[in-house]
Amino acid sequence: MRRALHLQDDRLFDCYLAQRQGEAADPPTAEHLADCDSCAARYAELALFMDGVRAEGDAEADAAFTPERLRAQQQQIARRMEAVGRPARVLSFPGRVVQGTIRASTLRSPRWTAAAAAAGLFLGIALGATYEWDSHPRPSAPAISARAAVPNPDVAADADFMSELELALDRPHTRELAAFDAFTPHFREIRDSR
Amino acid sequence: MNGDGRTAQGADGTPVSPAPTGAAEGRSAVITAVSDDSRIAVEVRGLVERGAMDAARDRFAELVGIHQRRASRIAYQYLRDVAEADEAVQDAFVKVFSRITSYREAWPFEVWFTRILINGCLDRRKARTRRDRWSVGGGISAANEARASMARPEGDPERQALARERRARLAAAIDRLDGRQRTVFMLCHFGDCTPREVSAMTGLNESTVRVHLFRAARKLRALLGGKL
Repeated sequence: MRRALHLQDDRLFDCYLAQRQGEAADPPTAEHLADCDSCAARYAELALFMDGVRAEGDAEADAAFTPERLRAQQQQIARRMEAVGRPARVLSFPGRVVQGTIRASTLRSPRWTAAAAAAGLFLGIALGATYEWDSHPRPSAPAISARAAVPNPDVAADADFMSELELALDRPHTRELAAFDAFTPHFREIRDSR
Repeated sequence: MNGDGRTAQGADGTPVSPAPTGAAEGRSAVITAVSDDSRIAVEVRGLVERGAMDAARDRFAELVGIHQRRASRIAYQYLRDVAEADEAVQDAFVKVFSRITSYREAWPFEVWFTRILINGCLDRRKARTRRDRWSVGGGISAANEARASMARPEGDPERQALARERRARLAAAIDRLDGRQRTVFMLCHFGDCTPREVSAMTGLNESTVRVHLFRAARKLRALLGGKL
């Protein structure tokens, strides 16, 4: 009887996985492996390689994570778990210090400080007012009347300008407005009457 | 099949079908632990819900003890940096504890925890890639490899040197795997997960996981010349 073709690599790998998990291999595959030396050798080679990879990786990781390191890791995990489920801690630094400072300053400043400050302010205002009064004497009444008698050069210039304007316009060009113009006193007439 | 060169032939030269071996026994031990850890996780959830945080922390420490070594292996293979792997494992445990109330028995605890761990490791890898892009020497840096090689096997210096070289070649080969292949391969070979569990962790179809595993193994063999 002619034997079946050799097993494919994927079948061999499935067989290896099943063996690793403690499961029975696919019966036809197991039968073939039992009959075929070539496939059995290939399987052995594959299993040797995969077991080697696994053993090498595990050994490396186990050497890196020594029992001491694992113990320290456990302690660290326990420490971090302590914080789980607890409300977040509020930092008290700025609030407490500022509050304490304010309270301390409030207790140290007595009431007479405020009274002294008010008295000082009052005295300052009073003295300032007195100084102002003395340094700037009020002008006398005759001086004011004399100042009013002297024509202000700016006012005179304005009056001349207004007169010139009136002269230029002379009379209204619109006939209907002539009556109003007759009743309206002119600036020139007012000035001349003074 | 174990690591001492045993073949698929019996002592009398007769080929034997694959049988459970040391690895499989280890696996069955893990399976027992899986059921235990899920039960403990449910208890911790109950304690947290009742507000008994101290008791929950004490019970959770047992879970840490069960999964710590395996988690460290996975994280180390992902990150190739002891300190960073340590942090990733811590973060995963703390995150799991803080979200234990969302744990459901439908998922084995191992699957739930490993998923959180892998996501953390992937985030860290991404962050490191971004960081390395702006610094001299990208990828898994020489410094990281130097740190990795600090984990030296005991023995004579020649053996140490050979082991270091072998591990460096293996790490470089694993790093050259496609992202998904690498995840699946690491979970299966370093995390002791079955393809079904990897499927649950990654969201991939189980047959897809098997295909990725096979391709990863084939590529590794090609990169390493078929031997370690």
